[in-house]
Amino acid sequence: MSSLHAHTLDVIKLNIALPNGHRLLRNVSLTLEPGEVRALVGESGAGKSMIGKSVLGILPPNVAITEGEILLEGQHLNMMTPPTRRKIVAQSAALIPQDPLTALNPVRKIGPQIIDPLVRIQGWNAREAETRALDLLDRVHIRDPKRVMQSYPHELSGGMRQRVLIAAAFAPSPRLIVADEPTTALDVTVQKQILRLIRELQQETGTAVLFVTHDMGVVAKISQKVTVLFAGKVMEDAPTREVFTNPQHPYTRALIAATPSYADLERPFSPVPASLIADLHAQIAQDDLLYRGGRI
Amino acid sequence: MSALFSVRDLRLSFPDRAHKPLFGPAPRNEVLKGFSLDIPEGRITGIVGESGSGKSTFGRVLVRLLEPDSGQVLFDGQEIGHLDEAALRPLRRDLQMIFQDPMSSLNPRHRVWRIISQPMKRYGRGGTKADAIAALEKVGLPPTFAERYPHELSGGQRQRVGIARAIALEPRFILADEIVSGLDVSSQAQVLSLLKTLARDMGLTVAFISHDLSVIRHLCDHVIVLNHGEIVDHGPVVEVFEAPKSEITKTLLSAIPLPELDDDWFDEA
Repeated sequence: MSSLHAHTLDVIKLNIALPNGHRLLRNVSLTLEPGEVRALVGESGAGKSMIGKSVLGILPPNVAITEGEILLEGQHLNMMTPPTRRKIVAQSAALIPQDPLTALNPVRKIGPQIIDPLVRIQGWNAREAETRALDLLDRVHIRDPKRVMQSYPHELSGGMRQRVLIAAAFAPSPRLIVADEPTTALDVTVQKQILRLIRELQQETGTAVLFVTHDMGVVAKISQKVTVLFAGKVMEDAPTREVFTNPQHPYTRALIAATPSYADLERPFSPVPASLIADLHAQIAQDDLLYRGGRI
Repeated sequence: MSALFSVRDLRLSFPDRAHKPLFGPAPRNEVLKGFSLDIPEGRITGIVGESGSGKSTFGRVLVRLLEPDSGQVLFDGQEIGHLDEAALRPLRRDLQMIFQDPMSSLNPRHRVWRIISQPMKRYGRGGTKADAIAALEKVGLPPTFAERYPHELSGGQRQRVGIARAIALEPRFILADEIVSGLDVSSQAQVLSLLKTLARDMGLTVAFISHDLSVIRHLCDHVIVLNHGEIVDHGPVVEVFEAPKSEITKTLLSAIPLPELDDDWFDEA
C-alpha cells in the first residue's frame, strides 16, 4: 500500500454528530506526516478521542460523520465501501487503547491475541507471525517473551499489559498509530517508561502517531505538533515548541496554567476560568447557527 | 505542632494466595514493613509511592478499615490499632475517607442530598435536605444539585460530592486516596484548590495519597515517600523537593512530565 502522497493522514473539515444533530466535532482539520507525533489535547468531552475513532472507523453506533474527508496515505476513506475501508485501515493503522485490561480478551492467552491479527489481516504465515510477536515483546523490554505469550492478561501488571498492546500495535508495521490516552491509567514512573517506548519504536519505524491526551506535560514531552480542542472545535494547531513558548489561544494558555509544575510553589491551582469557558461556548453556539444556516 | 496520628513500628501482611501450597497456609506478603511516623494536626500530609508501595494500605490502616499485624496507631493519644468494631464506632465519624472512583463510592440509585445526609443521620449530625444543601454549598455546588443522581454529574462534580459527604460530618481526619487521578487537569485544579481551602478553613488534618509529586508539591505541607512498605523520605514538602534523600524520590520527581519543553527528559532515568 504505498503512495506518493506526502501525508500519512489528512483530516479535512471533519464534522461528526449525534442523531439529534448535536455536533461532536466541528470542522476539524489536521495533517500528520510520516514519523510525526501529533498530540490531540483537551478536557473530557472535547472530542479528542472521536478524531482517532473516526479515522479507525470505530465510532460509537449512534455517531456518524456528517461532513468532511479523511485521507489515509492519500486514500479517501469515506468514499470506500465498508469492507474495503476496514481492510485498508487494518493494514496501515493501529490503536493503542487507554485501558489494556478491557482491550485484551481475558480468557485468551497473550500470544494468540498478538499473532492472530497478523495471520488473518496481514496474511503472514503462523511461524513468521510468532517470530515477529516474540521480537516485538522483546523490543518493549518484556524479559521473558515466551512465558508472557503463554500468560493470560490477568497474570500481568498494568504496565506489562500496556507493553503487550504497544507490541501488538507495532507488530504489523503500521503507518499510523492512534494512541488513545495510553498512559492515563498508569503511575508516573511506568508512564515515563511507556512514553519512552512509544517514542523509541515510533522513531525507529517512522510510524506517525496521533496521541490523544489531556495532560499538557505529556504533550510537551512526546509530540512535535499539537491540536488543542474545545467542544469539538480546534482552538490552536501549532508546533509543540511554539505552543509552549508562545501560545496563541487563551484556552491553550489556560490549559498550560492548569497543569501543576514545580516552577512556582506559591502559585495556587488555576482551573480554566469559567468566564473563558462561557465565552468559548457562546462562540460555538454562534458557529452552530451559521453552520445550520449554511446547510439549509 | 502536635501529632494527630503517631504510628510506631507498623507492620501488616496479606496472605499471598498465588503461592499457596496445596496444604497448609499461604505464605505472607509483607506490605508494611515496620515503620514509625507522626502525622501533624491541622496539616495536609502527602503520601507518595509507586503502585505496590503500600500507600493505600497504610491509609486504610489510619482510618482503621484494616487492622495492622503489630505496632501502634495512636489517634490523638489513643491506641486505635487493635480496637474492635464496637470500640471504634465512636471514632468513625472523626475518620473520614474520600475515594478514588466516585462512580463506585456514591450510590447510583440515590440522589445527591441523600448520599450526603445519610451518614449525617447515622452519626446524629442533622441530616435534613437543608443540611445536605449547606454541605453542597461549601464545596461550591448550587442547591439544584441536591436532586441529581451521580451519573448526571461530571467527574469533578462527583468528587466534590464525595468531599461534601466527608466534611458534612465535621471529622478531624480525612483520607483522600488518589482523588484526582481520574480527572482532567482543569477539574483536578478545581478539586485540589477546594480541598486546600476547606482544610485550612476547617482546621482539618488530611492525608493525601498520590503517585504524582507535582500535585503533592502544591497541595501538601509534609510528604512521606513509601517504597515497598518502607519510608524512604519524609519531611516538609520544600525540603524533600529541594534535597531528596532517596533515589526513589528522585526517580518519582523526574518521572513527572511537566508542562515545559525539555529535550533531555527521556534520557534521564
